[in-house]
Amino acid sequence: MKRFLTEFSINHPWVVIVGVVLITALFAAQLPNIKIDTDPENMLEADEPARIFDHEVKDEFSLYDFIAVGLVVEEGAFNRKHLSHVYNIIDEVSEIEGVIVDDIMSPSTVDDIKQGDDGILTISTLLEYEPESDEDARYILGRIKDNPIFKGKLASDDGKAVAMFIPIESKNMSRSIADEIQTIIDKYSTADEQYFIAGLPLAEDSFGSEMFKQMAVSAPFAGAIIFLLMLIFFRNIKIILAPMVVAIISVIWAMGLLILTGNTVHIMSSMIPIFLIPIAVLNSIHIISSFHDRYQKYKHKKTTIRNTISELFIPILFTTVTTIVGFLSLALTPIPPVRVFGIFVAFGIFVAWFLSITFNAAFAVLISDRALRNFGRSDDSHGPLSWIMHVFRDFSRKHYKGILVGTAVILVVAAVGLNLIVVNDNPVKWFKQNHPLRVADRTLNKHLAGTYMNYLVLDGGEEDALKDPETLKYIEKLQRHLEKNDVVGAVTGVTDVVKKVRYELFNSDPAKFAIPDNQDEVAQNLFLFEISGGDPDDLFKFVTQDYSRANLWVQLREGDNESVMSVIDDAERYFEDNPPPVHLEAKWAGLPYVNVVWQEKMVGGMRSALLSSFAVVFIMMVFLFRSPLLGFISMLPLSITIMAIYAAIGYIGKPYDMPVAVLSSLTLGLSIDFAIHFIKRTKYIHEKTGNFNQTFPQIFEELGRAIGRNVLVIAIGFVPMFFSTLVPYITVGSFFFAIMMVSGAVTMLLLPSIFIIFRNRLFPAAEIVSEKSKKIAVTE
Amino acid sequence: MKFQKIIMVILLALFSGSVNLAAQDNNKAEEIMKKAHLALFYAGDDGAAEVTMKIVNSKGKERLREFTMLRLDIEEGGKQDYYTYFKKPSDVSRLTFMVHKIPFSSDNRWLYIPSVDLVKRISADDKNSSFVGSDFTYEDVSGRHWSEDNHKLIREEKLNGRDVYVIESVPKEKYKGFARKVSFIDKENYLPLKEEYYNKKDALKRVFTAEKVELVDGIQTATLRKMVNVKKDQYTTVEFSSIKYNVGMKEEVFTERFLKNPPREYIR
Repeated sequence: MKRFLTEFSINHPWVVIVGVVLITALFAAQLPNIKIDTDPENMLEADEPARIFDHEVKDEFSLYDFIAVGLVVEEGAFNRKHLSHVYNIIDEVSEIEGVIVDDIMSPSTVDDIKQGDDGILTISTLLEYEPESDEDARYILGRIKDNPIFKGKLASDDGKAVAMFIPIESKNMSRSIADEIQTIIDKYSTADEQYFIAGLPLAEDSFGSEMFKQMAVSAPFAGAIIFLLMLIFFRNIKIILAPMVVAIISVIWAMGLLILTGNTVHIMSSMIPIFLIPIAVLNSIHIISSFHDRYQKYKHKKTTIRNTISELFIPILFTTVTTIVGFLSLALTPIPPVRVFGIFVAFGIFVAWFLSITFNAAFAVLISDRALRNFGRSDDSHGPLSWIMHVFRDFSRKHYKGILVGTAVILVVAAVGLNLIVVNDNPVKWFKQNHPLRVADRTLNKHLAGTYMNYLVLDGGEEDALKDPETLKYIEKLQRHLEKNDVVGAVTGVTDVVKKVRYELFNSDPAKFAIPDNQDEVAQNLFLFEISGGDPDDLFKFVTQDYSRANLWVQLREGDNESVMSVIDDAERYFEDNPPPVHLEAKWAGLPYVNVVWQEKMVGGMRSALLSSFAVVFIMMVFLFRSPLLGFISMLPLSITIMAIYAAIGYIGKPYDMPVAVLSSLTLGLSIDFAIHFIKRTKYIHEKTGNFNQTFPQIFEELGRAIGRNVLVIAIGFVPMFFSTLVPYITVGSFFFAIMMVSGAVTMLLLPSIFIIFRNRLFPAAEIVSEKSKKIAVTE
Repeated sequence: MKFQKIIMVILLALFSGSVNLAAQDNNKAEEIMKKAHLALFYAGDDGAAEVTMKIVNSKGKERLREFTMLRLDIEEGGKQDYYTYFKKPSDVSRLTFMVHKIPFSSDNRWLYIPSVDLVKRISADDKNSSFVGSDFTYEDVSGRHWSEDNHKLIREEKLNGRDVYVIESVPKEKYKGFARKVSFIDKENYLPLKEEYYNKKDALKRVFTAEKVELVDGIQTATLRKMVNVKKDQYTTVEFSSIKYNVGMKEEVFTERFLKNPPREYIR
């Protein structure tokens, strides 16, 4: 099989190249049909109960995702000028396509319940006309503070901030609507005003669009740097063209097949190129590295190719399969986009492997001998890379015991670090600290009751259950209890409508600002709200028309899953400690809550994916090396790498979020590679030398340089991603860098040390059996 | 020369004639709308009826309200008094609501809340707000004066077998309730059989239909009325029964005193 593929490619290079080009064209033709889906909600299955319930709640209470717009004026926003701006901005925002005009929450759109001087109860728009004086504006602030439904939400109590909540038809319109809002704001904005646009849907939608821009820059940039580094190492543009082409083709095949099979390109799958390019290049670097170091020996292209591929076939096959296993394990996660990502990266890796032993070989054959004349001539055994390898060699020979002790210490320290890991995520924090969305998020949540909206639905099970005074009083206590959590800005419900109406009905008597004791009075207060011109739709955002279910608006100042969880826990504990007077079933909805649900699924799913792929890889290693001991040893570098990297995450306090979770499979798939090459090639060298003392230094020559080149090419190739504006990209870049550095170092230090300790058992002095392999090499 | 002058005169005559015709048409349209207004809102000198209101949301869930409604016309086409006594839902029974309608001005509205035994005046600035949570607005219940809109007879046609005038009304002043209204007025009894309300983007917002027209005390009466809220995909029906006209209702019934103690002769 291995002979056939390579032989065929060497003997019929054009057939292979034309065939590959044709298939590539076929897949490339699919690319224009790309369907992009950036909705994080799709991290959950379409039939996920939490998601279905969220939609049901939004439908039943006619709730929409919204964009939060805030105006902050340090000297106070409640004067004629600033409030006029708010009035005019809302007037124009109402014209934007996709805005749910009736549900805009802003001073000039909400209804206030008040008692006129003449004793007339009025429900009318809070800021009905453009304010004519500063006094008008101050009056509005007073009204907001006197209404539990608006207090802290529409304005900060100090009057420095005004908020406008713009509901939108669908959350994937957030970015374009936010841009239109910005244009309107720019017309009115003056130097003393600061406007902010925030909200979870906007962050999610913006991330989608910025992600693709980022992708279009990052992937080619990483590719270019990898190309440059290879050029530095191999000094032959034609030879290194092959792996680059292989990388690009595998990206095209993977993405082409993904689109062809009707999958959408989600936040995860947009990262397929950035994952595939380095992995695809890895194998090729091993092959070229070998080819490079031998060409001058054989001076014969086909022989060198045969020899190289014959020796590398098994290790490359195994490194490929292990990486594929790592990514395929993602198919076991309960998160559809992660599954798609895992499957198609795995497919791309397979393509890259296949091409590297066929296309690469065919390509190399076609390179003229003249172009190769100087290839590998420079004496690499005295270059800087060799120098580094020799340092590793001498260090591990001298201090192998110290290395083992050091490793043990690292493992202990890492175990502590792993326990420090905090599982947390927040799409807003996918943007950097100084991104306008982050600034808006911080500022608005500092001044106001919060830009994150969760809903707690309380189901009383029967009609009019929510008119019962005892139930309402219970709910009110729950509201106040939840508000004790610093994360919670406000909890609003039908209770507040009842209280406010009653308070105004009794001439703003503070004693009446409470739920009445009589059910008829509750009902009549609500009826009063409807009959006095209150919009019934406003009421039915808090309670169903049959009064069987109530909907508490739980407004949060923080959207971190951790914060959301703390509120959910608070509610749960409250229900346990204070059983409701009637049967009440509580269920959460809202975008922040949905994010928590998929995070939990992801964490659990990734854990089992990692464990199962770890087990599969271990079994494969035992078979590959036909030795449980070697199998065990080969798992050490990857185990240490994973532990070290994740411990570092624990120590620096970076939250375990979506990218960090998904990257564990990459870490596993990549870190095993060096160990496979290392052990396999060491055994191969030992077969030739039969003497461990001779074997040992040779490890640090050709093999050491190949690993060194890989480490540098991939690690440095991802350095530009450190400067990305999107945090997940920085995370991915840092991971590639860390995986390469750590697993490279562990392989080159720990494995030699272990070999020294177990040298008699692993590498017994033996007859030189290398004749067999030499024969293969020489056969034309 | 002379010939040209004659042509000019003829053209001018024709032109002014058509202007006249158009004006006449508009007058006719306004006349029709006036009659329609009177037919629907000012039938008889007074009236009493039992009303069943059903508010049906997009999921088919119903909310039911039952009340007795009394009306007294102070002047034909002008001031009117309304008195509403709620029976259902039971938790608002005995709640009463009174309106003194004053065309071109804010109405006066009072509410009696039995659970706290309190009479409260409530604001009536916004005639476009929902009437007791239904898809009808206050204005739909008591009518919008015909002179507030410009009317145009756009065609005559048959609607459900009845000959109707189709009239388009556009508010004279910018108005929140609608930007354009198309009414289908029965040629025989001038009852609006259908009304379509469009917003400023000319999207259909609401549709009123008189579902059932019956002869009561010699007066053609729309006894089943329906308002569909197109945007919200819900509707409200109002059914009138036990209708009585010209019962000789006294104006004193429509005073605060009777809010707490409903007039027994009309309300059981």
